[in-house]
Amino acid sequence: MDFQPDAGLDAFRQEVRAFLRANLPPSLAGKPRGSVRSLRAEIEPWQRVLNEKEWGAPYWEKEHGGTGWGVLQQLVFDEECVAAGAPTQDGFAQKLLGPVLNAFASPEQKAEHMPHIFNGTRLWCQGFSEPGSGSDLASLRTRADRDGDHYVINGQKIWTSYAHDADWIFLLVRTDQEVKKQAGISFLLVDMKTPGITVRPIRSIDDCHHLNETFFDNVHVPVANRVGAEGDGWKITKFLLNNEHASAADLPILKRYLMQIRQLATRQGVCGATLLARHEFALRLARFEAEVAAIGMMVKRVAAMEQDHSPAAHAMGSMLKIRGTELQQRMSEFLVEALGDYGAVAYPEPHASTGVPPLPLQDVGRGVANEMFFRRASTIYGGTSEVQRGIIAKALFQL
Amino acid sequence: MNFKLDDEQQMLQDSVRRFVDKDYSFEYRSTLLKARSGGSLARWQVFAQNGWLAAALPEAEGGLGGGIVDTALIAQEFGRGLVVEPYLGCAVLAAQTLVAGGTPKQRAALLPALADGARKVALAYSEAGSRGFPEWVSCGAESVGDGYVLNGMKTLVLGGVEADAFIVSTRMAGSGDGPDGISLFLVEAGTGGLSRQPLPLHDGTWAAEVTFDGVRVGADSLLGEPGQGLAALRHGLAHGTAALCAELVGAMEKAVEITSEYLKVREQFGVPIGSFQALQHRMADMAAELELARSMLFHLLASVTNDDAQTLVRTVSQAKALIGRAARFVCGQAIQLHGGIGMTEEYAVGHYYKRAVVADALFGRADQHEAACAAELQATLIQTEGQA
Repeated sequence: MDFQPDAGLDAFRQEVRAFLRANLPPSLAGKPRGSVRSLRAEIEPWQRVLNEKEWGAPYWEKEHGGTGWGVLQQLVFDEECVAAGAPTQDGFAQKLLGPVLNAFASPEQKAEHMPHIFNGTRLWCQGFSEPGSGSDLASLRTRADRDGDHYVINGQKIWTSYAHDADWIFLLVRTDQEVKKQAGISFLLVDMKTPGITVRPIRSIDDCHHLNETFFDNVHVPVANRVGAEGDGWKITKFLLNNEHASAADLPILKRYLMQIRQLATRQGVCGATLLARHEFALRLARFEAEVAAIGMMVKRVAAMEQDHSPAAHAMGSMLKIRGTELQQRMSEFLVEALGDYGAVAYPEPHASTGVPPLPLQDVGRGVANEMFFRRASTIYGGTSEVQRGIIAKALFQL
Repeated sequence: MNFKLDDEQQMLQDSVRRFVDKDYSFEYRSTLLKARSGGSLARWQVFAQNGWLAAALPEAEGGLGGGIVDTALIAQEFGRGLVVEPYLGCAVLAAQTLVAGGTPKQRAALLPALADGARKVALAYSEAGSRGFPEWVSCGAESVGDGYVLNGMKTLVLGGVEADAFIVSTRMAGSGDGPDGISLFLVEAGTGGLSRQPLPLHDGTWAAEVTFDGVRVGADSLLGEPGQGLAALRHGLAHGTAALCAELVGAMEKAVEITSEYLKVREQFGVPIGSFQALQHRMADMAAELELARSMLFHLLASVTNDDAQTLVRTVSQAKALIGRAARFVCGQAIQLHGGIGMTEEYAVGHYYKRAVVADALFGRADQHEAACAAELQATLIQTEGQA
């Protein structure tokens, strides 16, 4: 055990920073980026820039055309991109589907999809949850029945983020009704333009549209679009969900919140002084700084475990998710509080057109409350905090 | 940065753990507490023979040349066993203050005797009005003839009952109340005018209230340069806080282990109580709190290794507050999950909680450390944000 600074990692951070300075077009930079995926018009050109640098797949092994970066380097890359306000990539393709295709897809499937992922020309969404299958995902009922060399899909998915703007969906379906629930699941890739698919928007409390319900009514999908063998869906899902423990806390966002709070601290006034001069404010900011420091070190520990393929990464990742997401909620709430009276104002959401005339303090306050409301979902998606606690109790204590 | 123990570190951890498991059972510790002795001299000699007192001291002065990680490894194991001997007060706090503040001659004269266990020195820095913070000193030193006269009182001196000498923080007459006015003295315990009152603490350890009433010392008892004591105190406190935090991480570990075992054997309603989800989730929260605290400890160890003095002061405060709170939560919940048995003197978990309670009082409480961080933000943030 030693705590010497990692010179290689510091040099890498400088490299990423320099790259962003030189290559992030001003038209794509400095967007007040919360947690929501960027727009297609932003993702595609940015993905092209990254791809030219051969950074088109930051999280993948070299043999699959990725950067081959270690988990800690990936985190540095994420942090610097968020700090620079760069557009997001397509997280579904990069972090969830990509590793699955690398590990399980046929050469034909890779040839079909990989170029589009590298070029940002095919956006993905995820069809996992159903109205009756949330935490108990394996109980899903959307069925795929064989009809020659096609599956016929009938059922409904929910919480399909960005389905309204996605070209393809990766989908869990039940291909066998007879066997144990986990054993009857398969993993399909489906073109969203296939007849029979209907996407209906769900407006969420953050006043944004990213959630949807997606309906499948006799949707014909080639059997060749199945990843892995029939019935492998659950195995693939566990692989997919096991992939990103270290990013569960979303440390780059926590750091961004700290930066925002620091800015408000010195620029907002209360009763004739800066917000920072208020002891109750400074005290809470000091606590947040300490907590982010602790979470930051916990992220490094989980990243090191992941890099070593340590089984301990699993429970530790769950702990990190619980504590990190809870901190996301408290910090995003604090940002709204820091706006004082204007924290109550419902500004136009970040992607909506600006009202004329703009509301007071709109340049500062816009998006802040949306982010807070969005973060109520952090402790729900990717396994609720309660599911995580169950995982921890079982893994660590065999309870 | 590397979180895995190397071979030597693993050997060190194994050896301290073996000692605690074999020779420092809860029953043995209970007899020490009943004797109200503040620990066992024989055990202290074992610490010395095993090199644990010498681990983080410089090789040139009788030490093994290790560092803060070794201190943390030893302290963590001592925390698991709730070791009551004054390792923290004498082997870390006072010894490291001496390392940072002593002249080469003073270090050469004293450190070898600390390393081999022949002598014990305690750090007398906290006062009733300073609450663990080293900057506030009212204890005075006056230059008289070719020496000095000390007057004042120090509280909660760890190892102060057993110590045969004290490092004392003072303000030299006429040096003002700034950070440059603090001088350290090395005072033999038998010096006329020095008296101490033993203080029993909740966790069975002892501290001393030490009074200096016209204590005359020679010029050579001034530690280092006059007015330069604060940096040495801060170095000692950074190491002491890291050791205390590591001890609390060890204490939390053990409290969590004891509790999870209990949940498997204790039955109510015909089933082990560990089958109840409310209790499982509480265990998960305790584990998460422990791991966040351990992460904060690593952050502090990294800061000791890498950061400038001002940043380190902040990290020390952050760690003391966060880990101290975590320890009270985890150990308190360990009592809760045990039910009535957790309240008893003869059961271990209550003693882990007591250690966490005492730890909060040492070196400044959580609230004060956070307030110090907040004040620093108020003093510096407008500048940095202005530049941004």
